[in-house]
Parts: sequence; C-alpha cells; structure tokens
Amino acid sequence: MKRKTAAKLIAASMITAMVLGGCGNSGGTASDGDGAKSGEDESVTLKFTYWGSGDEKKAIEESVDKFMEKYSNIKVDLMHIPNEDFLTKLNAMIAAGETPDISYSASWKCQMGEDGLIYNFYDLLDDMDLKKEDYLSTCWWNWSPEESAGPVQANVTTNLMYNVDCFEDAKVELPPAKVEDAWSWEEFIDVAQQLTLDTEGRNAKDPNFDSDNIQQYGVMFGTDWNVYMPFVYSAGGGYLNENMDGIGLEEPAAAEVIQNFADLINKYHVSPTAVQKNAMPSAATALASKQTAMYIDGSWNHLDLMNSGCDWGVGVLPIDENYTTFFDGGSLIIFKSTEHLEETEKLYLWLTNPESSERITELYRTLWLPVQTEYYTDEEKLDFWASEELPARPKGFKDAIVKATYDHAVTATEIDVKNFNEINTLVQSALEQVWSGSKTAEQAMTEVKSQTDPLVGGTYSGERS
Amino acid sequence: MSAKTRVIMTAREKRENKWGVLFSLPCILGFLIFALIPMGVSLVLSFMNYSFTTGGSFIGIANYRQLFSGADPYFYKSMAVTIIYVVLSVPSAMIFAFLIALLLNSDVRGKGIFRTIFYLPTVVPIVAMAAIWMWIFNPDMGLANHLLKGMHLPVSKWLSGESSVIPTLVFINLWTTGSTMVIFLAGIQDVPRQLLEAVQIDGGGFFAKLRYVIVPMMTPTIFYNVVMGIINGFQIFTQSYVMTQGGPNNASLFYVYYLYREAFEFSRMGKACAVAWVLFVIIMILTAVIFKYSNRWVYYGGE
Repeated sequence: MKRKTAAKLIAASMITAMVLGGCGNSGGTASDGDGAKSGEDESVTLKFTYWGSGDEKKAIEESVDKFMEKYSNIKVDLMHIPNEDFLTKLNAMIAAGETPDISYSASWKCQMGEDGLIYNFYDLLDDMDLKKEDYLSTCWWNWSPEESAGPVQANVTTNLMYNVDCFEDAKVELPPAKVEDAWSWEEFIDVAQQLTLDTEGRNAKDPNFDSDNIQQYGVMFGTDWNVYMPFVYSAGGGYLNENMDGIGLEEPAAAEVIQNFADLINKYHVSPTAVQKNAMPSAATALASKQTAMYIDGSWNHLDLMNSGCDWGVGVLPIDENYTTFFDGGSLIIFKSTEHLEETEKLYLWLTNPESSERITELYRTLWLPVQTEYYTDEEKLDFWASEELPARPKGFKDAIVKATYDHAVTATEIDVKNFNEINTLVQSALEQVWSGSKTAEQAMTEVKSQTDPLVGGTYSGERS
Repeated sequence: MSAKTRVIMTAREKRENKWGVLFSLPCILGFLIFALIPMGVSLVLSFMNYSFTTGGSFIGIANYRQLFSGADPYFYKSMAVTIIYVVLSVPSAMIFAFLIALLLNSDVRGKGIFRTIFYLPTVVPIVAMAAIWMWIFNPDMGLANHLLKGMHLPVSKWLSGESSVIPTLVFINLWTTGSTMVIFLAGIQDVPRQLLEAVQIDGGGFFAKLRYVIVPMMTPTIFYNVVMGIINGFQIFTQSYVMTQGGPNNASLFYVYYLYREAFEFSRMGKACAVAWVLFVIIMILTAVIFKYSNRWVYYGGE
C-alpha cells in the first residue's frame, strides 16, 4: 500500500510541477490589494516597469530605495524589462491581469490612451499640485487636445558630438556651439572631408585619397527619424505633407535633406556604409576609438561618452537657417487599473523631480534633460543640472544643447504623428535603399507612399508635423 | 466474441491501466496545455481582430483575405525571402554537413577533437554567435572585407547589402550544422562493412563506395535531415531579429520575424495568428509532399 501512495504522490507532484511551471510568473504581488482604501499607515505595493542601460537600472533602483525609505508604507516592485521586449512583456502582463501601476512608455502609449487603459494626465495635475504651464510646451504626449499621457520624462535631443583630439590633430576648428554660428551643410561637408583619413593618413580632400581604405571617418549618424527630422523641419519640410493625408518626405525640401545624408556615405565617402543599427558602433565607442571624428545622434550618449574617458564636446547641428529641433523621450504612464493612485502619484513625482534624490539628480546631469521650464529659465536651476563644470556637460553644452533646443523646439515627430511606429517602420526600410545608394531619396520615398499613405492619419495636435 | 474479451479485464489489469494513464498524464497534459489547446485558441483568434489590450471581435476571414490580397506590404515579401533562404540553405547545409561527416569518419589522429570542434558552434547561443558574425561581416571595419582587400579581391556589403544579406545568412548557417553532421556521422557508421568490402573487392575506389553504398544506405538519414532542415529553415527568426532587423529594405524579413512584428510590435494578435496558421499549413503540405515522394529515393535496409 505504501508504495502505491508514494507512486500517487509522485504522479500528482509531476502534474502539479508541469502545470505550475508553465503558468507561473514572477512577482505578481502588486495588484493583490483587496481594494481597501490605502491610508497613510496601511502598507501598499506598487509595480513599476521600466527599461534602460545598466547605469540607468542602478540609478532607478537606488533612487526607488530612497523613496521607500521616505515613505515606509509604500513598497515598490521594480521590474526591469529590456527595451526590445518591453511592449511584448507589458502586453502580456495586461492580458494576464497583472498590469503595473506605473511604467516607462514609448510612442505606443497614445494607443493605450485611446483604448482607455491609462489615466489622462491632465486629470491628475491638481492631485499632484502640478501645472501644465510648468512644463516645456512641446514635450506633451497627447492623444487628443484635452487628453495627455503626460510630459516627456527621459528627455533627450538630437546633437552633434565630436572627439576633440581628431580636430586638433587635423588642425581644424572645433564645431560651433551657438546657433548663430552654425555651419552650413557645405561647411559641414568640408570639415568632414578634412577629418576623414585613409590608412596612409591622407584626408578626403587629397586627390590620392583612397576611399576603400578608410581609417577614420569624418562623421557617423543615426539613420532614424530623430537625426534627419530637425534638418527637414529647418528646410521647411515635414514628415507629413501639407494636407496630412500622406508622408511628405518625397517633397523637395525633405528629400534633399535625406539625399544630403546619403551623399555623405556614397558621394563624399566621409561616412561608413554600414548603417544598420546593430552594425554601427555606439557614439561613445566610435568617438573614443577614433573610428569617427563626429557623430550625430541623441544626447543619451553623453553618459557613455563621459565614461569613455575621451576628450569630447558637443556642437549645434549644421543648420545655418531657420534652426529647428525638438525635445523627445519616453514618459511615465499611470494605469487606470491601479488601486493605489495616491501612492503611484507620489512615485511619479519622485521620479520626475530632478532634485528628489542624488541618483535621480545624477541621471539629469548625464543622461536626461529636465522638462520643467524653470530648469531652463532660472539661472541657478539651470546650473544645477547643466553647469559645464559637471563631467557629462562639456564646454559649449549650455549653448549647443540647452539654448539651441529650448529656443528652437517644435513637437517631436514621434510625439505628434499618429500611427507613427508603423509608418516609420516602412519609411526606415525604404530609406535603406537610399543609404546604400541604389535609389535617390525622392525615388524611394515616392515609391513607399503607396504603402505608408493608407496608414497616415494626421497628427494628434492637428498641425502639420 | 473478441470484443467481449477485450472489455473484461482482471482487477490487476484495471489497476495497471489506471496507473498507466496516471503516469502518462504529465505528457498528455503537457501536450494538451502547451500545444493542442493553444493551437486551437490561435486558430480561433485568427478569425478575430484581437489585440492584447482591447480584446477583439470576430471578423470572419478578413485577416486571411488581407494577407493573400496583397494589401499587407510584408506578407508576400517575407514569404519570398523565406523560400529563397530555405532553397539555398537546406541543400548547402546538407552537403556541407555530409562532407564534414565523411571527413570526421576517416581514421585520423585527434578524431575526437575534430568532432568536438565541428560540433561546438551548435552549443554557442545563437545571439552570441550573431554578435561575432556581425563584426566579421561589418562592411567597413570587419574581418571578412579586410581579408578580401588583402588579397585584392572585390569586397561585399554582406549583411548590409540587399542582394548579399540572404547568401551571407546561408553561409553563417553552415557554421551551425553540427547536429545535422552528428546524425550523418552516426548514419555513416551504420553502413554495413561487408558492402564496402564488396566494392573494394570489385576494384571500386572511394567514389564508387560513396555512390553505390554509402549514399544509398544513408537515404533514410538524409531524408530525416532534409525534412528537419526545411521545417527549421522556414522558422528562421533569431538571425534576422538580432543581426539585420529584417533589413536592408526588408531583404531579410523572414516569415517568423514578420509574424513576431505583427504580434508584438503592431499588437495585431489576430492577424499574427492567421500568419502563423498559413505557415503551419505550408510546412504541413511540404512535409506531406516530401513523405509521399520519399519512396522513390529513400531505401530502408529491410526492403
């Protein structure tokens, strides 16, 4: 009899193991609350999902620890999810009824807003003692004029980064930091040519220059929208056409900008041919190892550049007329399913206040730019995060990044254009033919219209982007 | 009469029957819970406009119609890309693995070491492997172009070129044929000695042995590897996910990567399920066709 009982037990445990093993999940404690009103003394658990590099992860963890010290009744379950899998995992959590209380978010958040999953941030402003006017006017993620997913939190902008040594070795003047001194595109090409060196040390202006054996490139650039769109806006073009019923990238102003970038690769040989995201070294790696002298991409690279130990600087984009750019970045969304709105709001304020804790301050001094207007207008507050004494704020930072962007910002393309993720996937694929030189920008963008234009649904603001 | 005797079981038989079922339950349940039921659900979802966040409603065959009508810009493209990959990669991998297996079967010193070396890449996680190949095939700074330049040969854009990306992935695939190679090796070792000796006595050399004994005796192994190769080839995903993101210009947008993007990037679960079922049917038909015509060329020893 004994043996049978044992056998039964084994069989039962095997089945249980199989069933649980498949359906089990990690950390599902957050929304276990019984719906009781959460008072000051009652302990509550919040679930917060976020992404970010190792440095960012550590900073968030330590900062949230400080938060929990201050509010001893709030426990925060942190879930770090790699950026590439973020939406997948979040979707699965929502489907399984494990929706977090608060989360990082990218452009898909507007769909969640339309689907009624997240709070309209405007409804929470009074609760949190915030005012709409306190924030930069261009940094709101809205899914309708009256409904918002909140202001950008991880704020960044597009910028020109460079390795000082490369310029000094070539005896070329450093890139200008002020908008009024900005290079024209022709001047920019000229500098890039002087900084592109073949294995014999000849630069790209030398008649004997060997474009097949390049040692150091003049410039590398990200090939996504955030790099070319400031140039397109400055040239009077747009991502969408005037009527906002199709993309506008095939129109002369925009197409010329994109063609200019492609010419850096195929005509002037001052940029490398491998432009796929994963094939390109990051700005910090490429600049520190002198694979390139200049790099145009997002300001999120500053943290890594600081850690790389090379002598680097920032300049304004080579746009000499009608300088236009934008702030952009993810934001924190609060889910309607939260049972602890009050505590979630506290966490929101903590994470978005550049002065809430040392670690958060550090992020605003390296990786992010603040979104509260006072940090741009008040000299003291500006120095708090942008002082050029700080290690990740090189000389020229205040002019090239802070002032240039603050004075000339429009709403970022990704924030305003409806259905952006899907449209841009098509655009980006088509652009790969332009970077490889097999098609002109105008050809490629005209051809892709038949696929993109059915997806175009205008902008959230109602104005052309 | 016989029907009746089958029903009547002794107490012991009944008991054993019960235990038998109980012990195989983990397997049965596993199949039901993780295979059959999800498949059924996904079939139902493929007729809905389902998304994670908002649920969905039945829309008939609209998902399938959208795929086959060409309204979706990626469907036919990804299908073509995947078929080209399978057509190139299956034969090349088979021939490569077979040749390596033949070499590893010969009596050389350090045979064990060679076998380990050729199998090793299969153990390396595909993501780590991808990172290394991306460096090797970087058109500007990579090792491959560096070597070609050194020999004054024309360079290639490898993974960054629209026409070269699939051949490059096929080439990379050769590196991971270790398990196919091991199966071939086992097959070769099973070839009866006396047949090989008979060829030798008749004055046949290595190629005669290969042509008249080894290959015919190994047709079941080849058959198995071809079927598995085709099934796995159609499901290629990680390579394009990690190395090319389907680019350049969707030239490596493999079918499963397209499926993944529909489901998890564009949140169209229902349509993604339809995409999955189309692939399932294609693989089923292909496998059935191969099985049907296998008796023309597959030789089982006992026949």
